Amino acid sequence: MQPLDPVTAEGLGRRFGAVVALEDVSFRVREGSCLLLTGPNGSGKTTLLRILATALRPTRGRAWVCGHDVVSEGHRVREVCAYLGASSGVYGGLTGLENLQLAADLCGRPRERVPELVERVGLQPAAHRLVSTYSLGMRRRLALARLFLQGPQVLLLDEPFVGLDSEGARLVRELVSSVKEQGGAVVLATHDRDRAGGLYDAVAELQAGQLVQGPGLVAAGRI
Amino acid sequence: MRAWRRVTALARKDLLLEWRGRDALVPAASFGLAVLVVLGLVWGGSPEAAPPVLWLALLLASVLAMGRSAEREDEEGTLEVLVLYPGSREDLFWGRWLALCVLLLALGAGLWAAQVLLFNAPTRNSTTLLLVGLLVAVGLSAVGTLLAALLQHVRAGRLLLPLLFLPTTVPVLLAGVRLTEAATSGTPAGPWWGVLAAFDLLFLLVGPGLFEVAVEG
Amino acid sequence: MVRAFVVGGTAALVALGLLLGLWASPPDAYQGDYVRIMYVHVPAALASYAAAAVACGAGALYLQRRQPLFDAWARAGAELAALFSGLTLLTGMIWGKPVWGVWWAWDARLVTTAVLFLLYVGCLLVRGLADDPERGRRLSAVVAVVAFLDVPLVHYSVVWFRTLHQGPSISLQGVKVAPEFLVPLVVNALAYLALLGLLLAERARLARLEWER
Repeated sequence: MQPLDPVTAEGLGRRFGAVVALEDVSFRVREGSCLLLTGPNGSGKTTLLRILATALRPTRGRAWVCGHDVVSEGHRVREVCAYLGASSGVYGGLTGLENLQLAADLCGRPRERVPELVERVGLQPAAHRLVSTYSLGMRRRLALARLFLQGPQVLLLDEPFVGLDSEGARLVRELVSSVKEQGGAVVLATHDRDRAGGLYDAVAELQAGQLVQGPGLVAAGRI
Repeated sequence: MRAWRRVTALARKDLLLEWRGRDALVPAASFGLAVLVVLGLVWGGSPEAAPPVLWLALLLASVLAMGRSAEREDEEGTLEVLVLYPGSREDLFWGRWLALCVLLLALGAGLWAAQVLLFNAPTRNSTTLLLVGLLVAVGLSAVGTLLAALLQHVRAGRLLLPLLFLPTTVPVLLAGVRLTEAATSGTPAGPWWGVLAAFDLLFLLVGPGLFEVAVEG
Repeated sequence: MVRAFVVGGTAALVALGLLLGLWASPPDAYQGDYVRIMYVHVPAALASYAAAAVACGAGALYLQRRQPLFDAWARAGAELAALFSGLTLLTGMIWGKPVWGVWWAWDARLVTTAVLFLLYVGCLLVRGLADDPERGRRLSAVVAVVAFLDVPLVHYSVVWFRTLHQGPSISLQGVKVAPEFLVPLVVNALAYLALLGLLLAERARLARLEWER
């Protein structure tokens, strides 16, 4: 077998009862590169990302993140991987600052970095307000700050541009670039190819749970 | 060290949200009070009726309280973020358990005071009673944390919670009643300390592992 | 071939149990013919606990290995535990009415069986109502394990709760079992356990076929 890339999937499949959400998906994402995952609604993009993030077990096939099996070594995968899903996952009853402090405690990062990150994502004026008063875009920015805090080797983004203004989109690009520069890997699922322009090194398209093959789709890497 | 930081951060978060929203303790305490009043009315407010009524009220009210933490995560979609952080998922169990323990102790103290007033119940040996309350809270919180997480992704989960919770916690209810009687009227405590300890131990041992299984995707 | 032998053997054992229980054994001095209900009641109780043990063991193995085989057995165990504990409660009540004069007595074993019944019904509900079949398998296995570990505690606490305070309650305990009652009881117990084994295997086979589909 070939040495494993930061993200390696082999024959991944997932069924929800009788519904086949993902079928026989194989691909690799090399170090320092970003794979753009596209496809219509319901094509299995989220399912694929959630399997890689260990939020969901595959029913078929295997996948590795930084050489760790996503099923049997889920705890190792979570050490190196960060995931942004459809929900921002922030608490409305806590302030922006408290949310990030909680995140720092939970992923074992120093709390001292939190104020600097709040500033970086442009939430300084609202830092001491409850998140329930935040707009959708502000919540997404808070979620991005959490990803900066985690500083992952593998970054999994599910529709990261939703609800973000151009400044927010710049933060997403900054995040993706920083992971790539450090030799990590990114899988980015989005419809918005314009906003992701210049970020990705290869494109994979999912249709009805299957990877639509094309030149350079199987292995995404900087050639 | 890292686990301790995670557990305390989670418990602090739950308690802070509860303090700001008061959406678990206030409804649960009001419901518990309603149970006390109704049962007292039906059975007559004699001091002998007090121990069963107190523990039954606490058990029923805690059903309301224990689903809240899981429900909050549901409303905000934060559970997925929590389970994907690096570190053991058992820490999530301990964090919620700790917060729920504090909540149930507060609930128990309030109901105990109400019961003393309503039933003219004796207040002897209140330190012993505090210990009983502590052991009861530990056990109920462990079961509650596990079941609430389990039923989070089950349709009608909020209805199933009492169905699973009440039969499971029968030993706690019976032990609570007998130990309270022992403390206030001097009857022998018999094997009840052991029953309570065994129950707590069982669910503290199997709880975290089964919780981990319940929250995986 | 083997299956035909097992089915035949079980059927013969059940028939023998019925024959002994209904005709070949004498009526009891006090209970009269009502004692014959015991030949269903006690074996059904035994079978319900055995089924619960299977559900717990198979459920724990499923959580560890995630193989369809273990889930099939856990499912069969949970369903049969609910079935046989329901049967135990029913026969207990039918027996209790003429002998004790009440449909329901707060006998420790009846209460324990009722708790077992409720928890395994809950287990089946969790499986059916989970939003995804995989989750249903996993969560019902957790409930099966919790229920089985909890039931002994429930049993002893109910025994002590009823006895230590109010003097012994009416129970089957202390009824001396003479050989003419013991033989049909043992035969029926064996018959029910064989029947349980057969039903478990058949239900598990069916569950596996459903999984494949």
